[in-house]
Amino acid sequence: MTFAPKMQKPQHTEDPTISSIKLSESDKKYENSADRDIWKAFNKGNETAFNYIYRVYAPALFQYGWQFSKDKNILQDCIQNIFIYLRSKRGDLTKVNSIRAYLFKIMQREVLRMVKSEKQSIHSSWDYNERIFPIEICHETKLIQQEYDIEMKRKIQYAMNQLTSRQRQAVLLLIEEGMNYKEIAEVMEFSDVRSARKIIYRALDTLKVLIRNKK
Amino acid sequence: MKYKDYNIEDFIMDDFFIQWVKYPNENNRHFWQKWLEQHPEKREIVMQAVTMINSIHYQDKAEMDDGRYIEAFENILKAENVKDLKKINREIEFKKFNFPWRGIAASLLLCFCFGIIFKMAIQPHNTSESNTYKPAIIKRSNPAGKKSVLTLSDGSKVYLNSASEISYFSEFDDSLRVVKLSGEAFFKVQKEARPFVVETGQTKIIVLGTSFNVNQGKNGALSVALVTGKVKIKDGIGQQMSLEPSEMITRDNQGEILKTTFDPLYITGWKDKVLVFKRNSFLEVKEKVENWFGIKIKIHGEINPKMTYSGIYKDENLENVLSGIFLSSGLNYQIKDKNVIITNPIKHEETLKK
Repeated sequence: MTFAPKMQKPQHTEDPTISSIKLSESDKKYENSADRDIWKAFNKGNETAFNYIYRVYAPALFQYGWQFSKDKNILQDCIQNIFIYLRSKRGDLTKVNSIRAYLFKIMQREVLRMVKSEKQSIHSSWDYNERIFPIEICHETKLIQQEYDIEMKRKIQYAMNQLTSRQRQAVLLLIEEGMNYKEIAEVMEFSDVRSARKIIYRALDTLKVLIRNKK
Repeated sequence: MKYKDYNIEDFIMDDFFIQWVKYPNENNRHFWQKWLEQHPEKREIVMQAVTMINSIHYQDKAEMDDGRYIEAFENILKAENVKDLKKINREIEFKKFNFPWRGIAASLLLCFCFGIIFKMAIQPHNTSESNTYKPAIIKRSNPAGKKSVLTLSDGSKVYLNSASEISYFSEFDDSLRVVKLSGEAFFKVQKEARPFVVETGQTKIIVLGTSFNVNQGKNGALSVALVTGKVKIKDGIGQQMSLEPSEMITRDNQGEILKTTFDPLYITGWKDKVLVFKRNSFLEVKEKVENWFGIKIKIHGEINPKMTYSGIYKDENLENVLSGIFLSSGLNYQIKDKNVIITNPIKHEETLKK
């Protein structure tokens, strides 16, 4: 099942590229520069740019992929495959405006492909179905204490999970991942940004109706 | 539509607004701060929208653990080109066909093992030395009245308050930097890819590069105040929270959690030798002074339980602090070595009558 194999950790980690994962002095340089420039540097073979991309996005891809498959080995393999592929294509990579959106899109494709190719496994039942992208409403602060608010929270959470999985996906990309509509359109493979806006508007409309009716 | 005409729903759907709430950067922070100054009447609605946005999360959460994070990284670097990948794939296929390859591989492995054993037998010294190297555990503790500043092997700085203890390895692990704390400390963490973890009891505070204050009270209460960067807090029962700059989380000994903003001088002033009282009760003042100077305070007579005290002392000695606090409260004090005796010339009932 493993596409890229698990390898033993090397005895000596003095490989300059490996030790550079820890040095993040230079990471800072990229913190504020646009995705396009980071991607360009990565395309030119700059290892610091690669380290930055990996550090920032590998954990995010893992969390995102988890929505499609609950097999951690698959997710790790997908992340490996994606980066191995991208590194092998350095020099010919096309322009990318949002690294997060681009990586999410290919992660989604890769996970679904892997899940499909593992028909025999118990995880094969995971498909792009109505149960994925469940949403949780939680209040980190103590503000929400009153009975009324707890009830409200329960209502909103119930309503959220009555939405279609595509709607929930859009809501999570917008609010949890903080993506803009252009990025959402890219991840969800809409040809038009307006479709991304539309799906959010519809989701909100549905929510309002559901919450009102529940009262 | 302009932002000033937005209602709560419009804010919840506005990507630029959400990015400020979830991923603030110089750009959006500047805009929204200025905008809020211009439209104070919108504050209420904005705060509601912020609460709503902050409450929506993935229900299915998974974290890429450090083991996978490192392993995947190494595998990516090893498979330098697609040719390698194909080779690897083929190896996997061999395994599937269960061919004599397996036997050959096994015998090769056996030879290899013998080789290693043989080598170890010849050079027992070298191998044992390199295998048994383990970094030493360093423990630092301050008694009451003493503060110290430490620099860790990664360059991070720790200000350790009095009556506090910290322990850590002289060299950190390849994937993680862990320190154990009891009491109070201020951390200035060097930014790097290895996460920095502060363990206090069952709670873990996880950061990459940032500065923050941790205070673990004797009764199990805990507060974490973030100055810069971002921290994540995990407690023993799996609850997880994150903090933005100038936010503080307090958990009392009942486990109740409260997120607030904080006064940096009050919370972190101690590291710069600034002793701050802010409407503290007499008991709090007493404990603070005892801890700060490593002394014991005894009380003769009754003290008005409603008394509170505020004041700021920068690098002052015991005498000056005591005279500042107690003379203004109408109390007398006497210093005898490590003991201070506070006396109230007026009876408690009389103070109340006043």
